[in-house]
Amino acid sequence: MLNVDLFINGLIIGLFYALMAVGLTLIFGILKVVNFAHGEFYMVGAYTYTLIALKLGLDPWLALPLALLAGALAGWLTERALMRPLYAGYSSWGLMRDEYAVVVTFALSLLLVNLVDKVVGPYPQRGPALVDIPRMALGPIMLSGQKLVATGIALAMIAGLALFLRYSFWGRQVRAVAQNRLGASLAGIDTARASGLVFALSGALAALSGALLSPIINASPDVGAFPAIKSFVIVVLGGMGSLPGSIIASLLLGVLESFGAVYISYDYRDTFGLVILMLVLIFRPQGLFGERGREV
Amino acid sequence: MQGSARRMAVEFRLSLALIALIALAPIVVDNAYWQGVLIVSMYFALLAAGWNLLAGYTGQFSMAPACFAMIGAYTTGLLAYHWSIPPSLGIPASILAAGAIGAALGLIVMRLRGPYLALTTLSFAEIMRLVIGNSYGFTRGDLGLNVPGLFESRLAYYYVFVAVLAAAQAGLYLLLRSRAGLFLRAIRDDEVAAASRGVDVVFWKTAAFTLSTAVSGLAGALYAHFSQLVSPELGLVSQTGLVICMAVIGGIGGLIGPIAGALLVYVSSEMLREAGGIQLIVFALLVILIARFFREGLWGLARRALQGSDAA
Repeated sequence: MLNVDLFINGLIIGLFYALMAVGLTLIFGILKVVNFAHGEFYMVGAYTYTLIALKLGLDPWLALPLALLAGALAGWLTERALMRPLYAGYSSWGLMRDEYAVVVTFALSLLLVNLVDKVVGPYPQRGPALVDIPRMALGPIMLSGQKLVATGIALAMIAGLALFLRYSFWGRQVRAVAQNRLGASLAGIDTARASGLVFALSGALAALSGALLSPIINASPDVGAFPAIKSFVIVVLGGMGSLPGSIIASLLLGVLESFGAVYISYDYRDTFGLVILMLVLIFRPQGLFGERGREV
Repeated sequence: MQGSARRMAVEFRLSLALIALIALAPIVVDNAYWQGVLIVSMYFALLAAGWNLLAGYTGQFSMAPACFAMIGAYTTGLLAYHWSIPPSLGIPASILAAGAIGAALGLIVMRLRGPYLALTTLSFAEIMRLVIGNSYGFTRGDLGLNVPGLFESRLAYYYVFVAVLAAAQAGLYLLLRSRAGLFLRAIRDDEVAAASRGVDVVFWKTAAFTLSTAVSGLAGALYAHFSQLVSPELGLVSQTGLVICMAVIGGIGGLIGPIAGALLVYVSSEMLREAGGIQLIVFALLVILIARFFREGLWGLARRALQGSDAA
């Protein structure tokens, strides 16, 4: 019975990891860079939701979409202001693009964390719950109402994203750009708009994750650090840029941590992911589901 | 190639002049607080110079210079705390420990091209900090670990840091001037081309990372004996952020940029402290602007201004 509970709770944690990791994966897929400010999109969502609901007294169900919008805006602005040089006309930057992206997104992360720390204050703030149902037993599983609702929303968002990328016109454009940027632009796809869209989506999902979890993990300026680190591990595990890979790796990590916390060590549960990451990099460097790259 | 060797020699001499200036500073700066600020600046200069060896010469980014300093600080600290091992053995042990962990991490990650090092070192840094903070029985966790001091006088620490910084700088210069330096620069310019000409890219990148982590370990060990208290906060990602800010603001890829950047950033951050914790906001903004618009940092701008006036 305990094991079923652990397994389901692990899957739920994994689902929230996936909400973070898919955005990072999409950005890596389309621009081939890592966004080190990804955790700060999560933080923006957690704060937007918490502050709007607590300070303005708005209904949490209204604050949630606003947090999503704030994340989308943060993502889109990041792309407009900082990512354009990666592909718009700076051809001589070809060799330096990784360095530029690392430095600039890492500095953005420092900037946002310290700005929020200064403006809002360093004290953790608890977000209001969406529903007021205490912990209950669903068969063998113990769940609070908030967790159940949050899980439902997260599941719907990931399914929605998958359908959007698979079937919609814009989603198909995004996949085309990820496959071959030059080819896509020759076929008349606005690659800059596709990149902006991916950043907005990625920011929106991370912010949603932060908002949904804010009643459980209080909003604080550096609250995004651990979700971001987990999603870095997941993106490598899943094979850089593979969307199904990152979702499966998220669920695996969630379940692994859930069991490990009980059967191995609670204090060191956050280290399991790193251990797995090292093992995967040693024995299967292309990631669990990635393809081996080729170079000319 | 000739030009780049000459530029390196000029930058090396300038950086030695800067270190000499720091060495003379106590004549004017007789206040113990500001001497302490300069000592911490030199600690950061060591970290930034080590980080720059990797980032500026191999194009690989480590997100863990502060973490390896923390590893160095805890190595000598724990050896003294549990087994009363003197700093004369503890500090070399710190260099070895940080270098060995760096080598192991490098061997795993450097085989891969792409942003793997940055991703892995960032996870590694956060998790090391967590492990040290949680292992209360062994490391005294977040309470911090008391470390014995080396000297009574603050000036003695000051000149140890000056000497170590000068030695590290000379070591870097000799390394970069040697055949190994040529390989590193070849890797920076074009990894695939360098590999096709027979440069063992994986070996040299791992070697550079190992050296950079060993320098961080040394800096951390010295800092531990100077401050006499180490805590997991030493390895905070924001500390790494400060190191990267210093190197980028000073200018990546030269010999003087990181040192000048460390001095400039840390001393001005002490001055901004009174303005109330806005240092990192200012520096992060500055780094974004520099990365976006002036790739070579302040030193690059200064050099270009000087060359411009020469030509005129």
